[in-house]
Amino acid sequence: MGILDIFRGKLTDPTACAGVHAGGDIVTTTVDAVVRWGRKSSIWPMPFGTACCAIEFMAMTASHYDIARFGAEVLRFSPRQADLMFVAGTIVDKEGPVLKTIYDQMPDPKWVVSMGVCASSGGFYRSYHVMQGIDEIIPVDVYVPGCPPSPESLIAAVMKIQERITKGEQAKRPQGEHRLGAPGDGAIDRRYRRAFWAKDDAERARQGLPPRGVVPLRVLPTGPDSESHHG
Amino acid sequence: MASATQTPPAPAEATSPIARALKDELGEGVLKVEEFRGDLAVTVSPQGWVRAATALKTLPELDFKLFLDLCAVDHLDDEGRPERFEVVLHVYSLSGKHHVRLKAALPEREPRLPTLTGVYRGANWFEREAWDLYGIVFEGHPNLTRILTHQDFVGHPMRKDYPTAQRHVLHEPQRWLLPVPAGSEHVVVNIGPSHPAMHGTFRVQALMDGETIVDAAAEIGYMHRNFEKMSEVRSYWQIIPYTDRLNYCSSFMNGHGWALAVEKLMGIHAPPRAEAVRVILSEFSRIMDHFVCIGTNVVDLGAITPFFYLFRVREEIYDLLEACCGARLTVSYVRIGGLAQDVPPDFSDRCRRLVESVRKYTDETDRLLTRNVIFARRFKDVGALGADEALDWGWVGPCLRGSGVPYDIRKDHPYSGYDQYDFDVPVGTVGDCYDRYLVRLEEIRQSLRIVEQAVARLPGGPVIVDDKRVALPPKAQVYSNIEALMNHFKLVYEGILAPAGEVYGYTEAANRELGYYIVSDGRKYPRRVKVRPPSFNIYQPYPEMIKGHLLADAVAIIGGLNIIAGELDR
Repeated sequence: MGILDIFRGKLTDPTACAGVHAGGDIVTTTVDAVVRWGRKSSIWPMPFGTACCAIEFMAMTASHYDIARFGAEVLRFSPRQADLMFVAGTIVDKEGPVLKTIYDQMPDPKWVVSMGVCASSGGFYRSYHVMQGIDEIIPVDVYVPGCPPSPESLIAAVMKIQERITKGEQAKRPQGEHRLGAPGDGAIDRRYRRAFWAKDDAERARQGLPPRGVVPLRVLPTGPDSESHHG
Repeated sequence: MASATQTPPAPAEATSPIARALKDELGEGVLKVEEFRGDLAVTVSPQGWVRAATALKTLPELDFKLFLDLCAVDHLDDEGRPERFEVVLHVYSLSGKHHVRLKAALPEREPRLPTLTGVYRGANWFEREAWDLYGIVFEGHPNLTRILTHQDFVGHPMRKDYPTAQRHVLHEPQRWLLPVPAGSEHVVVNIGPSHPAMHGTFRVQALMDGETIVDAAAEIGYMHRNFEKMSEVRSYWQIIPYTDRLNYCSSFMNGHGWALAVEKLMGIHAPPRAEAVRVILSEFSRIMDHFVCIGTNVVDLGAITPFFYLFRVREEIYDLLEACCGARLTVSYVRIGGLAQDVPPDFSDRCRRLVESVRKYTDETDRLLTRNVIFARRFKDVGALGADEALDWGWVGPCLRGSGVPYDIRKDHPYSGYDQYDFDVPVGTVGDCYDRYLVRLEEIRQSLRIVEQAVARLPGGPVIVDDKRVALPPKAQVYSNIEALMNHFKLVYEGILAPAGEVYGYTEAANRELGYYIVSDGRKYPRRVKVRPPSFNIYQPYPEMIKGHLLADAVAIIGGLNIIAGELDR
């Protein structure tokens, strides 16, 4: 079997990739599409593991779950050799500048998986030293929920990244830049949330709508039709 | 509830020989002696602090050589106390088999206390922590700087008047940890925090002369996620998931320790079936923890095969845990007074099969590593620490036993019915990395023995204590019976109301002694929860240990110590 057979659809359907057209024995494509196709199947991840999630990350790379099946088993501990970063575990304010430095050291194009709730939102550590989501300082491509996520969901995250690589998508800016250093509210201090709710209620009242979460009573139509419901 | 108003028993100066000996030594310096749930607490005046600690350590009839823990407590708004802060020291006597708690009260304005670093070397980082989190000044301390939070942090976050979630952003990490002599040709090598051998969160700077380490300094706090502050705004139940994430390699054991500590505070005991299941799962967790330690340690040395072997059998243990409670890693299976639910019907069979499997993989790892020449040369006579020094730093667990001290809490202070099982405590002779490895390997086999015995006589009966103060009523009754419904509501809404008092609950966790010091004032939330952080004591002498070694040995040593960031920084 030659290399062209791969494009002929014996292994994968080439037309699934953006920019690839196949008809008969001829495949036309762009260099970009071929590069993406190659990139997607040879991800070199860099584990930025700090806490419990790192143990589940190890489980994913080890023999049972075997991430090699998805072409992402070449773990690089140097950011300069990696194109995908797994942030596995709680990132605290002290670790923040370290994470940023490591991210900046990765060559472009690069992707980031935020593994677990701590990395994604601070998790249930709403307190004085915990970053409320790594997207305060670096862009994140895929968030994986769970505390810790099971290796299966991590594999799903790798596949999502592959999808993004194929489509040429990549997060460019830290999504939560605006809340850098903000205290974790939620469990502790609901004043911010209450103020937001009050504003939202006023806005909706101005539009003649009920507050969110209040289901308006359904007024049953009266007349001969309504009788028929009851037989 | 009635228990909330219960007062601690009357002082017991006369009954305790330890208190009497301290009184002879200090005279009026001893202010108060209390005993609660078998814990002896002696309050001394701040002037007598160092003398009391010295007496505890050096007097032959006391012999409190093992340093365990030092922490501060904030008693803000506690009417019964004239002083706001309290500094608490926990030490242990190996010959007397007794713990003691030494306390000194400090005022709100300028809380100062002389340092204990001259008595117990291990107190160094603990005093830095108390300064960092509570702002207590230890006079004469060699390096009283922030340890867990970063240098741009403002305030002392564990104080009760510090808002729980107030953050301070750090923009630039601390560049130099070591003073580099001017004009020196030595090279500074920075290892970590993002370095595979440092497991993501420790940082060491080494001053190198060629390949040899001349000087080293360590920095921690890269995983300080505030377990203790969060515990102060959580009820006793809600803390169980947090404990799982202390030592995430063996989550179950942390919950086990927490449940035992709270049960000690409440004065209740879990039923026999719950205790037996706790023992079985704790021993499997210990095995998992040792597997991670050995597996990652040899990965750091360059051998990846044992890692794959050991992680495969870890998956089988995960399956057992998952069958019991639905989670693989962070189990939250323990409840105060028992377990969340009963084990699956095929639990015993699964355990027996698992024991066989673990034994097979352990033997194979033994054959792969123990007599391997490269492995032995990397490990033998590397990072040796003598017994006296280890005690002074506060080492407990496999590392202390590797140094030749046969102290195992399961033997010396049996809990959860460990006294019913027949097992041996392996002890090393030299205290080097190789000894620590051998002790871990043998402990896996001893754990299997315990599991076999526990499974063979697994008792029947309930898995949670029949006590309305802590156990939720059965669901069927909640739906049909008003009293059960109210009980359920009150427990969920108000939480467990523990009596006022202080206890120190301790268990032999996979790495070393895991202790919880709980201060309760009878309310829904504990006033103070202090984990006796097992890895904290172990990591403290690490910069000293690697001096004079090769850089590659530093990697071998840290892997063998098995430092877990979650319980190091909490």
